[in-house]
Order: sequence, then structure tokens, then C-alpha cells
Amino acid sequence: MATSPVDPLLKQLTGPNTRSLLRVIILLTIAAAAVSSRLFSVIRFESIIHEFDPWFNFRATKYLVQNGFYSFWDWFDDRTWHPLGRVTGGTLYPGLMVTSGIIYHVLRFLTFPVDIRNICVLLAPGFSGLTAFATYLLTNEMVTSPSAGLLAAAFMGITPGYISRSVAGSYDNEAIAIFLLVFTFFLWIKAVKLGSVFWGALTALFYGYMVSAWGGYVFITNLLPLHAFVLICMGRYSPRLYVSYTSWYALGTLASMQIPFVGFLPIRSSEHMSALGVFGLLQIVGFVEFVRNQLPSRQFQTLLRALVLVIFAVSFGGLVLLTVSGVIAPWTGRFYSLWDTGYAKIHIPIIASVSEHQPTAWPAFFFDLSMMIWLFPAGVYMCFRKLTDEQVFIVIYAVLASYFAGVMVRLMLTLTPIVCVASAIAFSQILDTYMSIDSPTPEVQANGTPASASVAAASAMLPDGLRSTRNPIVGIYSYTSKLTVVAASTVYLMLFVMHCTWVTSNAYSSPSVVLASRLPDGSQHIIDDYREAYYWLRQNTPENAKIMSWWDYGYQIGGMADRPTLVDNNTWNNTHIATVGKAMSSREEVSYPIMRQHEVDYVLVVFGGLLGYSGDDINKFLWMVRIAEGIWPDEVKERNFFTARGEYRVDDEATPTMKNSLMYKMSYYNYNALFPAGQAQDRVRNTRLPAEGPQLTTIEEAFTSENWIIRIYKVKDLDNFGRDHGSAVAFDKGNKKKRAHKRKGARTLRVE
Amino acid sequence: MRSIALLTSCLIALSSLCAAELNLTQSLSSKQILPANFKPPQVFKNVNLVRTTNLDKEYPREVINVIIENIDSKPQSEYYLPFESSLLSRVGGLEVKDKKAAGKLPFKVEVVEYDSYSSTQFYLIHLPEPLQPKAQQTLSISFSVLSALTPVPATINQMDNQYVQYTFSAYSPSAYTTEKQKTKVKFPTANIPDYSVLDAPNADNTEDPQKQGSTFTYGPYANIPAGAEELVSARYEFTKPLTHATLLERDIEVSHWGGNLATEERFWLTNRAATLANQFSRVSWQMTQYSNPPTSALKGLAMPLRIGSLNPYFIDDIGNVSTSRFRSNAREANLELKPRYPIFGGWKYSFRVGWDADLKNYLRKLKTGDTYVLKVPFLEGPRQPEGVEYARVELKIVLPEGATNIHHETSVPLVASEATIHRTFMDTIGRSTLHLTAINLVDEWRDRDIVVTYDYPWTAGFRKPIVIFSALMGLFTVVYVIGSFDVSIGKKKTA
Repeated sequence: MATSPVDPLLKQLTGPNTRSLLRVIILLTIAAAAVSSRLFSVIRFESIIHEFDPWFNFRATKYLVQNGFYSFWDWFDDRTWHPLGRVTGGTLYPGLMVTSGIIYHVLRFLTFPVDIRNICVLLAPGFSGLTAFATYLLTNEMVTSPSAGLLAAAFMGITPGYISRSVAGSYDNEAIAIFLLVFTFFLWIKAVKLGSVFWGALTALFYGYMVSAWGGYVFITNLLPLHAFVLICMGRYSPRLYVSYTSWYALGTLASMQIPFVGFLPIRSSEHMSALGVFGLLQIVGFVEFVRNQLPSRQFQTLLRALVLVIFAVSFGGLVLLTVSGVIAPWTGRFYSLWDTGYAKIHIPIIASVSEHQPTAWPAFFFDLSMMIWLFPAGVYMCFRKLTDEQVFIVIYAVLASYFAGVMVRLMLTLTPIVCVASAIAFSQILDTYMSIDSPTPEVQANGTPASASVAAASAMLPDGLRSTRNPIVGIYSYTSKLTVVAASTVYLMLFVMHCTWVTSNAYSSPSVVLASRLPDGSQHIIDDYREAYYWLRQNTPENAKIMSWWDYGYQIGGMADRPTLVDNNTWNNTHIATVGKAMSSREEVSYPIMRQHEVDYVLVVFGGLLGYSGDDINKFLWMVRIAEGIWPDEVKERNFFTARGEYRVDDEATPTMKNSLMYKMSYYNYNALFPAGQAQDRVRNTRLPAEGPQLTTIEEAFTSENWIIRIYKVKDLDNFGRDHGSAVAFDKGNKKKRAHKRKGARTLRVE
Repeated sequence: MRSIALLTSCLIALSSLCAAELNLTQSLSSKQILPANFKPPQVFKNVNLVRTTNLDKEYPREVINVIIENIDSKPQSEYYLPFESSLLSRVGGLEVKDKKAAGKLPFKVEVVEYDSYSSTQFYLIHLPEPLQPKAQQTLSISFSVLSALTPVPATINQMDNQYVQYTFSAYSPSAYTTEKQKTKVKFPTANIPDYSVLDAPNADNTEDPQKQGSTFTYGPYANIPAGAEELVSARYEFTKPLTHATLLERDIEVSHWGGNLATEERFWLTNRAATLANQFSRVSWQMTQYSNPPTSALKGLAMPLRIGSLNPYFIDDIGNVSTSRFRSNAREANLELKPRYPIFGGWKYSFRVGWDADLKNYLRKLKTGDTYVLKVPFLEGPRQPEGVEYARVELKIVLPEGATNIHHETSVPLVASEATIHRTFMDTIGRSTLHLTAINLVDEWRDRDIVVTYDYPWTAGFRKPIVIFSALMGLFTVVYVIGSFDVSIGKKKTA
């Protein structure tokens, strides 16, 4: 009888080689699934960089590729934040750009004519395959079951919580940072388990890479010390912990200080102090352990313990003192907003105005993690049952990340890996239990599988009254129950896959630069107003024309239109942003001098009223007002933009401040010419606009995109006759000049 | 004579406009360099000359039919054609044929280098057979002038009609005495508000020019001496874009393995039409989209490709332009492009289009040896009713790796050609590449082909698989050798 090739697999006759081959194939399949599920936007639209921040990263990568590494490192960018400029090379995390640059140069060396844009677009999906692999490794360190790792890798590959930041085109720091995060954790666990300097150094190496890639490295900086601290508190100090932690901390801190943007922060800022503190604590504990081994005297131990506490207290006090005296930088605003979600809204409106900094709504957990959100606690619970050193790590990670994910939408990303690991542990436990075809027979039971043996031991202590304890053999015999549970699990897994695919396809695969709509015949129609206007700017304005727009569009203008901007998404200078906010929210007479002072040539606004595109500038307007009010409370007042009844309106009842603001005028200028008289309709706010549209005097319409989403205005030059623009426009229209009633004083001789 | 001062100032403006482009034409060099005091030897006379200027398109097309006669005692074969130096850099596609034998190949024509400060420059026409004394021959000289139309007024409102002005000499430029000549100007419209009227009566003693519908005739004139010039100009309605490509880069890549001919064209377009007096108004643009009146804005480009072309793309610096349409069937393959925004006068737009085609429609293997013959169009690009002009066309033909003995032949006048190496997709020795440059072409030249012959032995096709295979084998060997080293520190544990 010929044996089919599948037989040895089913009968578990396979050698370790066959199994590892199978495992490699499964992992490759998972990686392929992870990559391909992120390609929706490339297939539906094109290979394009998404959203806002990726456009900056893309531009920086192009700069790196064109000008080489050293000039990238020293890059001073005078085409942003006009007229201040930005020391871009020293204020970014270069890991992402350098990674793509290396890939680019390697491919070029192999003479592949690859475009840097395609590398940038496909970097995130590529790294998601690696993340799945890293999750597999991490999970394998946690449990003995080989299926848990594969399950975790599959979960990680397709979970929407991670896909949200890593679809093709989403060329952001998180694209590589999540891989580095998971892989660093794996190396750390390995180092703690083995107590090896080699793994500790590798942890430091990847930690350094992580620092170069993402500001979220602070999460590692605090999680690893916390793990070490908890282990010490649990009395689990060991030389392994000492070796791995000290080698990581020493090398990793040195590595992190090589990044210009981080610099001396690891020894000067509060966020990094816990790592330093635990490092010191470990030295003391190590010393104490050493002494205790040499001198086993009980009193001496007590003394030493007291010493430890005193030193700890003293060093903590010193830390506080240094912080208060200003040697160590105090906590930043972003850090405070992690503990008090209302903090940012009051103190730093610019942080609060970003949607991804808002607290997470609870459905988002189900949306991003689906069934894993209820498997996750089960997995954490299972870690409690054994609680080895590495499982302590899972528990700490789970608790911390859950909290942070609840505070900020963005931090859902750090929660996702641990959710995948924990729920894979839980799920594989179910599958391992219910999927074994053999029923436990009494003989087998007598041989003693560990689970049933412990049950038997437990039942010995219980009274014989219960039926389950009368019969000491506990196991799953019935094929029905096995089938039911396995089938249910399969259904859950399938639902999970369907949910992930649906979410990815519908929620996370829109480039947001390009909008898609359907024509009546079902074919796709692409609304490409952003690029239309940006390309117009790129082709038909002078190379150095300064564009003023709200900061959201700064990176896109820099990347697509290639023109200098006043403010962009790197919100490092709040005053400058407030200046733009003031120019937008003030009357033309106030705005014009501001624009002249900043050498603004064109003003760009986003207007969705014609198409019903809700992410437009009128809807963001209140944030501009708030940010401007933060700097000029006397000149810009949020209250004046609301009607007496506290409504934010753009129609007839809009307040005069609103109607005279530059933003309002630019948005609705000439808009009612599209409609019959008095019928102008704003489809976002669903209101009818005033019959008479706003008039502009100091700026003129230069370009409006096809669907009116982008409107570009040119700032007029000073009037040739020295008039102010208001009277010049009035004169051109033939209005009679309103003679100002001047007091006729005595004529005096002009002396100039 | 109407305001000759205005005309000269126009001309000066024109020449300064072209001064920038003059640099481009430095490569128009030839072997023959003339002394500074050169005057064409007066060995010919023009017995009768009829010049036709066709202004249908955005570039004037001139056809000069001239009967020349050798008045020297020896046979002569070098006929000089003078051009004003600012004009010379804008003359494109000059072709000379024997009118009586139209089917024959055009004559050899070259630009002769001359004192660069002289205001007159020459084309030298080599007659294939020297003309015997007293013998006559009819030449048909045709060329087009680029950037010749100037919008007057230079700024108009968005929906206004555009008027352009064309300035030329009523006497056809000639280095020889012309016994009898006239110039016919065909306008695209009868709406010609301004034109020069010459005071001196012509040979027929009638009004000069004579009008017949939209055709004007200057002349006939008798016995015009060599080099005589009489500038006239006309201003007529031309509400169409003046599409001007400052540069077209065209790449053709031949792949024997894939059986594919990939073409990519990169355009740098600008519209020379009148600029907008006020800024662009989307409202009025949208209002006129239904009635579709004539406009000087460039709204779309139609590119008829060869039948069987497939996989077209239309992208620009920031990605795909979704507003294109490709109609392909057995009879046509039309690529209709719509730029992201209407291109008004003075606006620019640069983009690239590309497509694939089956190689076997373009490539033929000779019966003997390993020689292949490739025949591809020199120029494709859009075909517009008002025409498209190209200041410079750079054609790159990438042949497969290992192609040798490369020859090319085309009827398009080239200013430069060189052979280089192009490395891509794991090439080892690189692909032989032809770089050909032509200037001042117009879209009428779309039908001209270029024929490239090259030798390609069948062994060359296996170079790449062998290289990749041996490279991978080498890599595996190195990894294996390195992996088998024992670099561990400390004593080896005995298992």
C-alpha cells in the first residue's frame, strides 16, 4: 500500500526536519498573507504615499538618496517653516529613511531599476511580514506549544490594529518600529532566559535601531526596567537578569545617544530615569547578593536590606531634586496627557487637535482587535498560572499597554503585539486540548499526562460526592464535544479573518490624497483634487513661492507641490502655527500685513462644501482660532465665532467675525456663482449660504480645483498708487469714493 | 509701409525670445566652416519662385517651389538658402526634393557654420547631380517654423478669442536673384483684423496683398535682388492652444526574452498662447464646459498609438493621472490624455506616458546570420488638430544585452547620435543603447520611422540566466564555507 505524502504528518511520524520545513512554509505563507492584505490601496488606486506624515518621510528619503548620508545628517531645510527653517537632520528619527535608503542602494547595486517611491510604498507591508516572524519567535519563548507561535504570527499578520499603520503607502515610522519593538522584546526575553551578554548586546543593537526609528522607543526604555524591577521585587533576582539588563542598558543607552534628535535625553529627561534607576538598583542588589553569598549572616542581611532601601530612597530623592532644579528635564506635555486625558485640551490645543491623540472609543478595540479582545485576558490569565520570568513580562506589558491604548488612539499599536501573543496562547491551548484525536484511555491516564495527573491529585482531596470526582479520569472523550469546540474555534478564526479583511479593505486602505467615488454605472471615479492643485503649484508658480496653509497640508505641499511652506505637520513652533491661525481667523486688514511680513505668495485652503467633503478647513477652523487665541487672547476670541446662542454657523446668521475672517471669505468666495441666485448650498454643513458672497480685496483667486476641494489664492502685491487694497478694488468697480470727513487743520509744511 | 518700427521691435522681441533656445542649436555643427566674409557665389538664379505659407497649424509650414537655373559656366551642385539667424534656430524639418521626381529621396541638406555674429545664416543644399550650365531644375523646399506665432494682445481674458501675429518677409529669402516670385499665405480663418499692406505696387500693378477668402497673396514681384527683405505681418484669430514641447525624451526598449517593445515618452509641455489677464476662474471654466467654445487652453491630448499597443500608463511627477482613457480594438489604439488642469497660456505641464507592444510587429530577423532589423516610429506623441511642436527630441533605443554591429537610418534630420551602454536588471556588460537627438520637429513627423540593424547571437540570450545561476551558486558556496568555520570561544562541549 502506497503511503500518501500527507500520512506521516497526520500520524505524527515526522522527524524534526519535516516539521521545521512545514513551519517555515507556514511562516512564509503568513508573511505572504500579511503583505498581500496590505496591498488593497495599491491595487485599487496606485502606488502612492498616503496621508500627511508619510509625505515628509518620503521627501526626506528622496533627499537622503540624492544627497548622501552626511548631508542628510546635517540637513537644514529652508523650504519649511519659512522664514525660520528647520534643522531637519537633527529633529527627525532617521531609521526609516536610512532603511529605505539602504534597500534602494542595494537594489541599485544589483542594477534593479527600482523607484525610491515604490520602496517607500512597499516598506511597511514588507516589514509586517518580518513582524509576524518576530511575533512567532516571541511567542515561542513564552510557551512550549509550537502552534501558539504560528497562531500569534498569523494574528499579528492580519490584525487591523497593526494594519491601520502599515498598509502599502503608509510610509511612517511605525512601519518598521513595530517590527523592531517585537523583535527587541524577543531578544530581551532570550537574554533574560539565557543570561547571555550576546543576546543582551543584540537587544541593545535593536533597541538602538528602534530609537533611530520611532519616538515610541520610550515604551521599551520603560518596560524593560519595569520587568527587571518587578522580577527583583518578586525575589527573582538572578545573575542572568543582571547580565542581560546591564549589557542592554549600557550598550543601548550609548546606541540611543548617537541619534541627534535623542542626544543626551537618556541621561537628562525624566522618561529615561527609570531605566537608570533600575540599573543602579541592580548593581546594589547584585552586590548584596554577592555579599550574602560570602557572609551568610542573618543580621547582616537585614542590615543590607536596610542599606538597599536607604540607597534607593536617597537616589530617588536626588532624582526628584535634580528634576526640580532643572538638570533633568521635567515630563513633557505629551507625557502628562497620557495620565490626564483632559490635559492636552486645556494646555496644548495643538496636540489635542490631532485626531489620533484622542482617547480611544471602546468600539475601536473590537474594531481593531476583533475576537482577540476577549481571548487576550484568557491568555494573560494562563501566564499567571505558571508565571515564569518571561510570562511576568507578558503580564506587565499587557497591563501597561492596555492602559495606554485606552488613553490615546494611536497607542493601540503598541497594544496589538501583546494581544496577539496572549490570545494566541489562549487559543492554542484550546486547540491543543480539543484537537488531539486520541481519547485519553485509563491506561494512558495511568501513565500520567501531566494535566490529568494533577486533576487526579486534586480529586484525591475532594469528597467522593461529586460525580466528576468519583471517576478520577478527567478528559475529553466525546468526539462530539471535540468537534463542536474545534468547529466553533474554526468559525471564530474564519470570522476573524473576514473581519480583518473587511476592516482593512474599508477603513484603512484609503490614501486620503485621492478620494474614490462611484459613478452611477458602478465604475470607480477618482477625485484627485489634491494632486491637481499641488501639481498646478509645482508647475506654474515660481520655485520659491511661499505657500500659506493650515499645518495639516504642510508636508503634502512640501512633498507634492515642492514649494516652501510656513507651517507643517512637524508642529515644533506653536507660535508660528498660531500666527497662521491668526492670519486665517482675522479680517483681511489684519491678515494682509501678517502675510506680507511672512512673504506669503499663495494661500491654500481646503473647501469641501461643493462635494460634501467633511475634512475641510471650515470644520477645522475652530482649532485655528483656539491655537491663535492661545497666543493672542486679546485679538482672536473663540466666542466671537459662535452666535449668541452658541452655534457655529456659516449661513446668514454667522457672526460678523466669522463672515469677515479670511478663512470664511476664501472658502466661499465666488461660490454662489455656481448656483442660481440665493440657492448656494454648503453640502458639508447642510446650510444655505447668504445670497451675497464674500468680497476679497487683498488676495485674488488663482486656482480652484475641479471639485473645489482646494482653492488657491494669490496675495496681491502692494497697490501701484499706494492706496490700500480696499479702496483700490472699490475704485476698479467704479464705486464712488467715500470721502472720509477729514478735519481740516492748518496746513503744515511736510518735512521728510 | 505700415509702422516698420513696430515690426522690427516685434522681431527683436522674437529674436530675444529665441536667444535662449539658440544655445540648444550649437550642436547643429557641420563639417564645413565658412569664412566670415562669405557670400554665396552667384552661380544660380531663381527663374520662378512660388512660396506657400500655411498657417492652419500653430507652426507655419512653408513650401517654396523654385525653378533654379545655373548661370555659371561650370556645373554647380551647391545651392545656398539664407535664413535670418534668429529664424534659423527655429526652422525645423527642412527638406528639399526635386519637384519633378517627388518619389525620390530628399537631397542632402546641412547647416553651414558661419560667423556667429552675422545676421544671415545658410542652409547648404547639395544637388545630387551637378546642374549643367543653362540647365534648370525645380526644387521643392519645405520646412516649418517653430515658435513663430505671437499672441497679440499677449494677455486675454479666460473666454476671449485669441489673436496671433505672424511676421515674415514678403520676398522669399534667397541668396540669388529672383526673376519672378510670389508668396501665398493661407490663414485658418477669414477673421484677420490687421495685416501689412505694401505701398509699392507689385508686378501686376494691383493691390498688394491680394485677398481671396482666407488666402492672401503677396506679389508677384519681378527681379528681386539677392538677400532682399520686406517684412510684413498679419494678425489673425487663432483661438487654439500653442502647444510647445520644450523637450521630449523618448525611450524604446527591446526585449527579446519578453517579446516586448516598451515605449516611454516624457514630455515637458508649455502653452505659448496668450496668458490670462486675470487669474484662472473655475466658475467660468465650469460654465463653459457644456457649450465647449474654442479656447486657447489645452484641455486634452489625443495620442493615436500603433494598433496592438497595450498596457498604457499616464503619470506625472506625483503619480498616476486618472483622467486618461484608452480605446483599443482591432482598428485603433487611441490614448486620450487629459492633463490634471487645463493648460492656459504660459502654464506648464510635464508628464510621461508609456505602453507596451508586441515585438514581432517591429522586429524582423534576416534570413542569413544573426542580424535583426528593428523598425520603429521616430516620433509618436499626440496628434492635435492645431499641431504640436517639439523644440528638442531625444530618442533612446535600448537594444538587448550583447547586441553588436549597430547601424541606424532615418529620414529625420539628426543633430547628434551616440552609442552608449545602459545597465539594468542584473546586466553584466550592459545593453547597447542609441541616443539620437533631433531639434525643431513637429507632430507631422510622426510617420517617420527609424530603422536599426544589429547582430544578436543566440548565445547572448543565455548570458543572464547563466550569470544569475552562477552568482547564486557562488553565494551558497560562500555561505556554506563561512558556516562551517568554528568561531566559538571557549572549549567545545562534548555532546
